[in-house]
This record gives sequence, C-alpha cells and structure tokens, in this order.
Amino acid sequence: MEILSREIKPEDAASPVDQLVKLTVRDLEKLPPPYDKPGMEPELTDPKPEWKEKYATDLDGYIAIDLPWKPKNKEEEERLIKSFLNGLNKLLTKEGNWTFLQPLLLSLEYCAKCQTCSNACPIYIMSGKQEVYKPTWRAEILRRIWKKYCTPAGKIFGKFVSGDIELNAKTLMRLAESAYRCTLCRRCTQTCPIGVDNGLISHEIRKLFSQEMGIAPKALHELGTVQHLKVGSSTGLTPDGVKDIIEFIEDDIEDKIGKRIKIPVDEKGADILLIHNAGEFLSWPENPAAFAILFEEAGISWTLSSEQVAYDAVNYGVWYDDLQLARIAAKHAEIANKLEVNKIVVGECGHAHKAITVIADRVLHDDIWIPRESCMPILWEIVKKEKINFDPEKNNFPVTLHDPCNMVRLMGVVEPQRKILRKLAPQFREMEPHGVYNYCCGGGSGFAIMQSMNFPEWRNAVATRMKFKQVLEAFKDCLDPSINKYICAPCSNCKGAIRDMLSYYQASERLSIYYGGLVELMVNAMVDLEEPFVEWEFH
Amino acid sequence: MPISALMALSYAAFAIFVIVVASKWVKWSSMPMHLRWELYPVPHEAGRNQYGGSYIEEVDYWKKPRETTLAGELKDMFSEMLFIKRVYEYKRPLWWLTYPFHAGIYLILAWFFLLFVHGILSVYISIPVLAKVVYYLIQICGTIGIIAATLGCIGLIIRRFSDKDMLNYTAGVEIFNLFFILIVLLTGIATWITYDPNFQHAMEFMKALVAFNSAYLPKLTTIAEVHVILLCLLWIYIPFTKMSHFIGKYFTFHKVLWDDELNVPGSKVEAKVRELTRLPMPWSAPHVDTGKSWDENALENPKDEWGRWKY
Repeated sequence: MEILSREIKPEDAASPVDQLVKLTVRDLEKLPPPYDKPGMEPELTDPKPEWKEKYATDLDGYIAIDLPWKPKNKEEEERLIKSFLNGLNKLLTKEGNWTFLQPLLLSLEYCAKCQTCSNACPIYIMSGKQEVYKPTWRAEILRRIWKKYCTPAGKIFGKFVSGDIELNAKTLMRLAESAYRCTLCRRCTQTCPIGVDNGLISHEIRKLFSQEMGIAPKALHELGTVQHLKVGSSTGLTPDGVKDIIEFIEDDIEDKIGKRIKIPVDEKGADILLIHNAGEFLSWPENPAAFAILFEEAGISWTLSSEQVAYDAVNYGVWYDDLQLARIAAKHAEIANKLEVNKIVVGECGHAHKAITVIADRVLHDDIWIPRESCMPILWEIVKKEKINFDPEKNNFPVTLHDPCNMVRLMGVVEPQRKILRKLAPQFREMEPHGVYNYCCGGGSGFAIMQSMNFPEWRNAVATRMKFKQVLEAFKDCLDPSINKYICAPCSNCKGAIRDMLSYYQASERLSIYYGGLVELMVNAMVDLEEPFVEWEFH
Repeated sequence: MPISALMALSYAAFAIFVIVVASKWVKWSSMPMHLRWELYPVPHEAGRNQYGGSYIEEVDYWKKPRETTLAGELKDMFSEMLFIKRVYEYKRPLWWLTYPFHAGIYLILAWFFLLFVHGILSVYISIPVLAKVVYYLIQICGTIGIIAATLGCIGLIIRRFSDKDMLNYTAGVEIFNLFFILIVLLTGIATWITYDPNFQHAMEFMKALVAFNSAYLPKLTTIAEVHVILLCLLWIYIPFTKMSHFIGKYFTFHKVLWDDELNVPGSKVEAKVRELTRLPMPWSAPHVDTGKSWDENALENPKDEWGRWKY
C-alpha cells in the first residue's frame, strides 16, 4: 500500500497514492496514567483489501461513507466531478442554500489561514496532529475548488488566487471522507478571530454530497432519516414496538420503586410532549423510566407520542442534509400540534435539542410552529422548587459531567444541569475544559451511530480520545477500581460514544468508570426510593 | 488651481474604496436569512454571557422578555477589534506579530483622519489650539503607526514563510498582499525619513485635497510620489480582497455566531421563513423532489407503493 511519505498539503488531496496517512497507536497523543503504558489500548488495523475496490479508503484507510461510490472508470470519475461541481454551484445559490448561504460564503471568503483554530480541534490534537484532520485542511480544499471553479478571480488568475488544487476522484473521495473526520463541534470556530466557521464547511461538504448525489453514510441517511420517516424511528422501532417497550418500562419502574406509574401516551391536551431519543427505549430504558418517575412525582402534565416519527427525537438531518432536517422537524411539530400540547420538550439528546429548538426555529412557520424547549430547565425547576424530596448523600460517589456540544456550545444550555449536580451530587467535579469550551465526546455529528466497517476503530482511538483523557483526569484522585465513578452524559449519542469508549479502553473493568444520564442520578437521590436507581454495571 | 493628477488619484482611490466597501456591505446585508447557527458564548446574553448561557435556559423562554446587553456585545467586539483577543488567547506567538501590524494600521488610519481634521482647520475653520493638539497627535500616530505596522508586516511575512502550517495553505495572492502593504509602508518610511520628518508635507497634501486646490500641494520628491501612488492603489485594491475582512467580521459575528433572534408567530422572522421555504429546491439527489419548494418537499410526505413515507 502506497502512502504519502512527506508532509501533507491541501493539494495532496488529489495525490494518486492509495492512502494519504496510515495511523498507528504510537502516532496518537499519549493518554494519562494508567493508559500511558504500552499495551493498554488495541493496535490499529489496516482496511480489508476488498474494501479498497468499492469504498473510499484513500484518506486514512477508514470508511465513514459505507456506500460503494468509488468510480470504476474515467467516465464515472468525470460524472462524479460534474455532479460535484453542479452541487457546489447550487450550494452557492439562494434557492439551493438559503439555509446557510451567508455563513458559508463568509467562511469561504475570509479565512486568513492563520491556523489559530487548529489547536482547538480535539481530533487534530489527539491524532498526533495529523494534517488531514486539521480543521483547515478540508476547508481549504473546498475553498480552493470554489475559488478555482466558481469565482471570476479564480477563473482569471488561477492558482495565484485559488492555490494549487486538482479536481479528480481522489480529491472528492478524500474531501467527502474528511468531512466525516470532524464532529461539527465547532470548537475551532470559537477561536477564530474573524469568526470563520470551518466546522460549517464540513457540514456543507456533507450536504453537497447528500443533497446532490445521495452520498452519505447509511447510518445517517438510509438507516437514519429515511428509516425514521418511513418506519418511525432511526432505530427501526415501530409504533407498536414503542408501546410494548413503554409497558415494559412501567413494569420495570414498579419493580424498582414498588409503585406503578402509568406513562401517558398520546394524551391530547397535555402541557408537554416529551420526546426521547428512541435509542433510550432500546439501550437505556432506565432513562425514560427516570423521566416518568420525576414528571409524575413533580405533578407535570405530559405525554409521550406513539405516532411514527414523534417517539424519536433524533434528527440526523442536522448533520448532513437540510431537507431531511426540515422533514423530521416539521413532522415533530405537526404531531405535537395534533396532540394539542403546549410545547415539545426534548429529553436527554443533544443534537435533537439543537435540531428542533434552534436550527428548526427557522424552518417551522404558521401551522407547524410550536414552542420547543430543553428538558434541563424543567428538571432544574423540579429541584429548585423542591417538588420532590432529594437526599444528595445517596449520590455520594465521584460524578463528572460531560457537556454535549449541541446542548451547550451550540445552544447555551449550560447551567441547569450543573446546578442540579451541585445540589444532588456531593462529589461532582468538572472536566477541564468544560461548559461552552468542552470537548466533544467523539460521537458527535453521527459518529456515535456509525458502526460500519472500521469506522468505530477510528472513532474510539482518535475521536473519543480527548474525552477519555478528560475523564481520566477528572477522576485522577479516585482511579482505584474499588470506587465506582459516574460520567453523567445527558445525551443519548454522547452516551453511545462514551459506552463504546469505555468498552474500547476497558475502563469499566479496569477502573470502575460507568456512565449514564442526569435523570437517573436525580431519581437515585429521591428520598422515597428504598433501593438505588443507579446500577453499577456496564451496558 | 485645478486639481493635480495625484490629487485626482487620491480622490478616486478614496471613492472606490468607499463604494466597493459599501457595495460589499450591501451584498452581505442582502443575503437571505439563514438557519440559526449561533455559537456560545453569545456576548449580548445579559447575566449569562460570562459562562456562555442563553435564554433557552429558561422554562417557557419564548413567553418571556429578552434580556440583552449592548455593553456585553461592545466589550467582546472591541476587545476583538482593538486587541485581537482570540489570537492573543489561542495563538500568542502570532499575536506578537499580528497585533503591532493591525494596531499600526489603526494608528495610520487615525493619522489620516487627523490629517483630514488638520486640513479642515487650515482651510475652513481656524481653531489654533485644536490645530496644535492635532499637530502633535499626527506626530504620535504617524510615527508609532508606521513603525508598528512595518515591523508587524515584516514579522508576518517571515512567519508566513517559516511556518509550514501557514505557508502550505497560502496562495500567491496572499503573499502578494503582504508584500504590497510592506512596499507601501517602506516607501512611506523612506518618505518620512528623507523628506517629511514632521509630516508637514503630508498635512499640506491633505490641505490641498480638502480645499480641492492644488496650489497648496507641496513639491513631492520621487519617493514621495511613488509612495502616494502605491498608497492610492492599495486603497483601491483592499476592498476587492480578503484584506477587507473588517466587513466580513461584522457579519460573521453579528449575523451568524451571535444571531439568536427567535421565531415566534407573527414575527418578521416567521415572514422571512415563509418566503424562503417557498423557494424551489434545485438539488438532484433521489430523496429530493427537484423543482418543488422547500415546504412542499418537507411537508408533503411522498408515499411509496406501501403507503409509507418515501424519504
């Protein structure tokens, strides 16, 4: 396998070599003790030879876009390039991209290439500063193509203005894959003195490929938004299925707290339509259970929906496709209005928070407008107004908080969850940095659910590495495995990424580090509960 | 006396600069409203900007009056404009070069303004005390400005060539821009040292411009003439390039990263959303109904042969 053996530049996206980089564990940034010793993490593997025939392994050997879209001949390559340029032109029009035209053009136009943003990127840093993961690398490729093909200056003055770039199939495969080496956490944007948003450029690259060519990871599109709209949930959960699970959750609640709670489903006229990430029903049913206990005990008027789409808060469109985003957001709002609720409240799911509350704020109008809000302020009100009796001593174990980027940096819901933890978790400690300057869990922008081929290996070894480092540092005074430790991650996708991270580094077995949501901790602290709600087992 | 060629060039440079900057401003201002894409901390969030919180931290936030702080926004804006705060915080070694460069340019702009005021005071209104103050300010701003900007510019050029992280991403035009500025600054220094140590001739030049009368023009040396010509060309050139990022920066922060305006029924935002979602979708992927509007695509829910949503 031929790999580029010199420093990589943006124009190398077009290089004919098989792969631009090959990662090894030794290249990666070191982890804190006890993971600073050799053998504490698995070696990285090569892509299977047969994958290279159909899939784009040309960037780093990893495959995010699990579609066989590699051109087989010159004709297919030319078609791909033409299609890409068509898409790029649409991305620059009001009709095609009113949704992000101004932010995109500002970011294409004004980057000073000062690289101030690079060190803000956890993936770039933890990869051992691999050039292809630098926020500016993929952005610069798109910027050069845009300059060269879409601006008068680029057409007249060529390379002098646009910089060196050749547009071939390799360039496009690497560009598309590299857009899936960025979690869209937008930490880079926070540091830019001009306000240029290289994270947005990743988003727009993804969108171009999806909206023009139908090229997107299956987990996001085919099994994600399409399945969500067709079947009811990106998990494949059907309306009947969710009703069954809700019954199971009611049984489970009864077992745990000795009291049966009737979870309201499709109750017209309730104050709140609570929408969970459907992954919670399947992987962490204790989370919707905890919500049900808290809302019932606090006397809140609420309901779940069993209607297709509305029992799953996720909206994967937010990561790669504006139309799919709009379809799902509209459906959520439409069903909530049909139920005549006063508002939608999003459960513990970060991207669903941002999608319906913030991004879709300029999608919903007239009949499909409805108020939407985060569950965090409501949960804090339950604690603040003492609607339930809590005993913090029940949570007397080390707890740290992971800030989901979508909920915190991208929509400013920062304090309610911390206020709850300060009140109910005596050993709460912050990760550093935290709040709006947090690091992504590594599962952002769809990575947590992209389980195809070798992508999970890259996610665990590179994308979640910074989060794992932060977790180890947050618990450095209590790494002793006899002490159970809790990462509070109030987001389903973050939990998914953290679950896989703990499994990859065997951190639950080795160090007794576990994870869960916020509501589980709240219920665990309820005075009325005889048995602990938090179960110290890895799942 | 009629105006001279250099005066005409100066007027033209200024006019072109203003017109192109204004047209760029109009271009960015008239772009369609985009989806919300704010990034926290948003400095106008009263009481929450310190930690990056938003009004969404409140239950029923859409019913409550917004509490914003102009002071918070101005503080962030000026600390970025005047001190380049983000580079200071996140890339200190570069700040030591870029800050003198930018601060020097600000001082040179202040110097131009003071020359203009001095010209007005010389031609139209006589306030000797103020003229004296302005005279000394011209000495201070001009001297510090040109030295700081030149040192910063040289530093930025050296850094651009020595730092591969920057060089590998730099197009020829960006190098050209830096050298263009440097040449203007160096000819300015040469003029200052050899011909106009007290900026007396610069003041006379501006007086001629303000009076539209070439009788006030000083006799320029060749280097001074070259400097004025290059400076005028730079004024004309800047707004066409990304050196005009002072325009973009307003929009990136105020209209994108800090734009958290809420859409509520009956609002202007809602009217814009209604208008924009009527636009036809040009995209070609299989899940798009090309040519149908965004609303039709999002709301009509095309069904497949099993009666299930197709997309």
